[in-house]
Amino acid sequence: MITFIIRRLIATVFLLIVVSMITFAIFFLIPRLAGQNTYQLATEYVGRNPTRAAVLQVEAQLGLDHPLWLQYWNFLKGIVAGAHYNSGTTSTYCPPPCFGYSFRSQQPVWPQMVSDLPVTLSLAIGAAVIWLVAGVAIGVISALKRGTLFDRFSMGVALAGVSLPIFFTGLISLELFSYKWPLFPNVQYVSFLTNPYLWARNLVLPWICLAFLYAALYARLTRAGMLETMSEDYIRTARAKGLPERTVIFKHGLRAALTPIVTIFGMDLGLLLGGAIITEYTFSLHGLGLFTILAIQNQDLPEILGVTMLAAFFIVIANLVVDVLYAYVDPRVRH
Amino acid sequence: MAAPLDVSPTGELAPEAGLAGVSGKAIEGRSPGQIAWMRLKRDKVAIAGGITVVFLILVAIVGPLLVQNPTTYHLNLINPTFSRPNGPFGGVSLAHPFGVEPVTGRDMLSRVVNGARVSLLIAFLATALAVGIGVVMGIIAGYFGGWVDSVIARVMDVFLAFPLLVFAIALVGVIPSSAFGLSGNSLRIGLLVFVIGFFAWPYMGRIIRGQTLSLREREFVDAARSMGARGPYILFRELLPNLVAPILVYSTLLIPTNILFEAALSYLGVGIIPPQPSWGGMLSDAVSNGFYSIDPMFMIIPGLAIFITVMAFNLFGDGLRDALDPRGTR
Amino acid sequence: MRRRRTIVLPALAAAAALALAACGSSGGSSGGGSSSSAAAGFNAAVTKVVNPSSTKGGTISFGNSSAPDSTDPGNTYYAYMWNFVRLYTMPLMTYKSCPGACGLQVVPDLATGPGVVSDNGLTWTYHIQPDVKFEDGTTVTSQDVKYAVERTYDRGKFPLGPAYFPLLLAPQKPAYPGPYKDRSKNLMGLNAVQTPNATTIVFHLAHPFADFNYVVAIPQTAPVPPDKDTGANYQLHPMSTGPYKFQSYQLNKQLTLVPNTYWKASTDPNAKQLASKITMTMNMNANDIDNRLLAGDLSVDAAGTGVQAAARAKVLSSPSLKASSDDPLAGFTWFAALNTTLKPLNNIHCRMAVEYAASKTGYVDAYGGPVAGGAIATTVTPPNVVGHKTFDLYQGASMPGGNVAAAKQQLKLCGQPNGFTTGITYRSDRPKEVAAAQSLQASLARVGIKTSLHGFPTATYDSNFAGVPKYEAQHDIGISFYGWAADWPDGWGFFFYIVDGKAISPAGNTNLAQLNDPKVNDLLNKMALTNNDATRNSYTSQIDMQVMKDAAILPGVWAKSLLYRSPNLTNVYVQPYYGMYNYAVLGTK
Repeated sequence: MITFIIRRLIATVFLLIVVSMITFAIFFLIPRLAGQNTYQLATEYVGRNPTRAAVLQVEAQLGLDHPLWLQYWNFLKGIVAGAHYNSGTTSTYCPPPCFGYSFRSQQPVWPQMVSDLPVTLSLAIGAAVIWLVAGVAIGVISALKRGTLFDRFSMGVALAGVSLPIFFTGLISLELFSYKWPLFPNVQYVSFLTNPYLWARNLVLPWICLAFLYAALYARLTRAGMLETMSEDYIRTARAKGLPERTVIFKHGLRAALTPIVTIFGMDLGLLLGGAIITEYTFSLHGLGLFTILAIQNQDLPEILGVTMLAAFFIVIANLVVDVLYAYVDPRVRH
Repeated sequence: MAAPLDVSPTGELAPEAGLAGVSGKAIEGRSPGQIAWMRLKRDKVAIAGGITVVFLILVAIVGPLLVQNPTTYHLNLINPTFSRPNGPFGGVSLAHPFGVEPVTGRDMLSRVVNGARVSLLIAFLATALAVGIGVVMGIIAGYFGGWVDSVIARVMDVFLAFPLLVFAIALVGVIPSSAFGLSGNSLRIGLLVFVIGFFAWPYMGRIIRGQTLSLREREFVDAARSMGARGPYILFRELLPNLVAPILVYSTLLIPTNILFEAALSYLGVGIIPPQPSWGGMLSDAVSNGFYSIDPMFMIIPGLAIFITVMAFNLFGDGLRDALDPRGTR
Repeated sequence: MRRRRTIVLPALAAAAALALAACGSSGGSSGGGSSSSAAAGFNAAVTKVVNPSSTKGGTISFGNSSAPDSTDPGNTYYAYMWNFVRLYTMPLMTYKSCPGACGLQVVPDLATGPGVVSDNGLTWTYHIQPDVKFEDGTTVTSQDVKYAVERTYDRGKFPLGPAYFPLLLAPQKPAYPGPYKDRSKNLMGLNAVQTPNATTIVFHLAHPFADFNYVVAIPQTAPVPPDKDTGANYQLHPMSTGPYKFQSYQLNKQLTLVPNTYWKASTDPNAKQLASKITMTMNMNANDIDNRLLAGDLSVDAAGTGVQAAARAKVLSSPSLKASSDDPLAGFTWFAALNTTLKPLNNIHCRMAVEYAASKTGYVDAYGGPVAGGAIATTVTPPNVVGHKTFDLYQGASMPGGNVAAAKQQLKLCGQPNGFTTGITYRSDRPKEVAAAQSLQASLARVGIKTSLHGFPTATYDSNFAGVPKYEAQHDIGISFYGWAADWPDGWGFFFYIVDGKAISPAGNTNLAQLNDPKVNDLLNKMALTNNDATRNSYTSQIDMQVMKDAAILPGVWAKSLLYRSPNLTNVYVQPYYGMYNYAVLGTK
């Protein structure tokens, strides 16, 4: 078991390095291949009407004139060993993991991401709890009461939920519940430590919008899984043995039906931890998703690199956790 | 996800056929495909979805030829102070049955119909790309196993590790406006298809790999091998036909996901280049520029179009899955 | 959202603004529907102070749909920031804080008087007030001002601000690298700026430049104490000389200002210290800002460029809300530059065909119509630039839908009777510009000019695409959408970077027409050398006329901003230079 985990961890590190290489290639290499030279790249980060000297100074400051492999190497070195940065009057040390300095504000990227993280965590985990509980519960009930009004209605709503773009539902709910009828005025992130009540109240709308989409999906999946499992022979055997129905449903039926749900949950949560981009954009929540959009709009390469690596890290770790849980539960999986 | 589809592979003769002469009445044997089709026919909801899908495809292909030019401005129909269409429901009239757009006065019906073509085109092509790569990689990984499987599984992991939306936005930003011999919207459509399809293939790949893993242990594969069949033959003539069912089902369910994905990309500003309409672009215009509150129809119409299309594909796909899976209907 | 604003309204333009205001006005103050006192009326803040008051206390909250390029006064180029920094800085000169044309005068701020010119216009001497203090109690000396100017030479640390000082001051060999490299040698090492005593500062120019008072009104002359400077980190807490100082600043999220106890009102008549707290929240959703503004949860929209479409409809259709809004000239012209070097637009008649064919109504409507977008532009300079004269060479105002016949006539003259094809570039993340480009495409198609649209994000527009002459040549780009407001309110400040041949640059170019007309270059040169105000300002309209005769620019809109004036604000008025409310004097009820 331990060896399995260690092997996967090593594989994870390699995976992240590969992701970093590909990301770096996409953002730094492709523009070069498209014909952009470093002078042009540097003009993006200078004010209007720069002199030639100014552009060259910026090029040097941001390290754009270094060869690509050197820039990549410095990037990796920074993550592992930190970097020194000359801010003018002093030399500051950027401790590991150092994702470099923003091209625009020349401030370190990592602390900015760390300060955005609680928002994304609150949003993702809160929504995840809601959709898991709601989705699975509705799915189980629908499966057990197959063909009834509840089943048809909930599956209908679920179908609607997965058919609507999330920015649509987000905007409608803001319009109705925040502007028109101010049940949730001023949706703005308040830290849990500052005011737990406001923290929760301001996140209710984004939670529900995000959870609605996933709950719908999970309800459908759970229902399908339950239907399939409940028609297995061993369920019939369990009933024949005289076990109470509740044990049959939960201990035997649901448990088996949940395995694919767990896999998907891990992947979904991992993806969201990297930033629920559209939700954060719609509700103006300053999380990693909004950070990503702003970084891309500003073409701020270190920020883009940093947030992509962080998002990939979450996805990979989530997959690892799911796989470890699988190995723990199912002895066939360990090789 | 539903269980692996247990469709009997070779369509061997049903036992009834052998009794044909005995009872005097020719009893037709039914192939599993025919059984599935009959089950599907009975599922009214799925049929409704299917008809809608066919209708939408027809609209996408033929529609743009029947409606007016989607890029013509009709400034006389717009109130200049508010940039809002004159008249109720966004300026509905005989000439413009769905009304007109704010600011420009372009006909909404023709924009929706032209948008159908673009949105469906992207969704279908991206799905085809994802399915194509996913099936090939999945079959190879599942059948050969061993280190081939490991390598492909790791490659799939790399792709799954990328935050997809980030890459879509970023790639569209870095690719120049003409490359690989294409330019303008053809390039943009190609790019969107590539991004959506190329990052979605691992999902298909994993499913197919799982199916292949279980199928390769079956007797018919042994039988084929014992008759001297080699790898490629087994892959493409024995295994692939049995995978048609899951491929079909998941493709039908992948298409609506891709439609929504294109809408999301347009919302974030990296969709189709104007003035070419696309549903995602129209919805994005309505939502992010705040026009939805002064002309709700501008948002409702493309929103409804997306909703109905996605719903129809989902219903049809669900019905298809139920029809092809003998156990689920019990 | 890079904007530079300079507006100097002579009496002429002030009258024009009043006339425009009267057209849109719904009458005098109406009985306000809000809970506070009656709203002052539509466009009230354009001509007078609304809610004058000296009540102290309260919090003013600014909402910002993006983030400042920098809060370091030496490193910012956004118009609203040049307005906002006066809350915590005192440059040598500033614009007078009064409504109407009065607010266009450049007056001393840290300085005791305008610069004294000598030595054939090559030397400018300023004296600074002796008793202005930083937020920590230390007295401001002329060396702090010299140091501030020195910082602007290090473009690696401060790439974002304007580059006037390295451009105008006398050069030295080797070139001055800024005060950070080799600090022991280069601190106070800029020879072109001398500080003979603690209250005198002398600038030595490379060539005479009559507009120098305007140049020192740029926030870059706000004093910076060398021992408290932290280079690229200074933006996190600049040393304040204004009425407020930084209390906390989370980059890209929230800035909080509190009163600076060492600020004396007697030294700074152009700012006020009324509110007890000022906050700016960044990266908010634009529609969210509007909704909160209307609901009273926010005091000011920091960007000052007007409300979005949804709020516009609400404001204009409700008499009480309309009475609390203003529609000032923003100081911008939205235009399309016609590439004078590209076939067939290198032939002036083809360019004139474009000028005649374009529908100005479509252009203005794309930007939001006559109230929220602006007025049809028939000249390059908007009415609030000193020396502006209105004329209409291509019947933009008399035939706002375009003159197809005249356009076709011009096409024959340039040898393209059936039209031609060319490309249009525009900034794809600016919806109004997108709409304007599509409108122009439709207008030109009427006369056979077939165009293809190429949209690029703002971040790379200047550096990689429209602003790269080679790119435009290679991709057949004949028309580039742009907008411009000047760094200071006169003709040189408006025109130099967009029409002077010297300003053409291989990347980051802003002279998108690539115009290199000796007549225009010559007039701009003369402007810089002429000290007599009247003569100098008369050149503005001559340049404008020549550029329009060259058909190098297709003017579209003289921008206006529909601003909502929160009823809780006091001392609210539009400062025409910035085209938005004067942020330095606001208070709250």
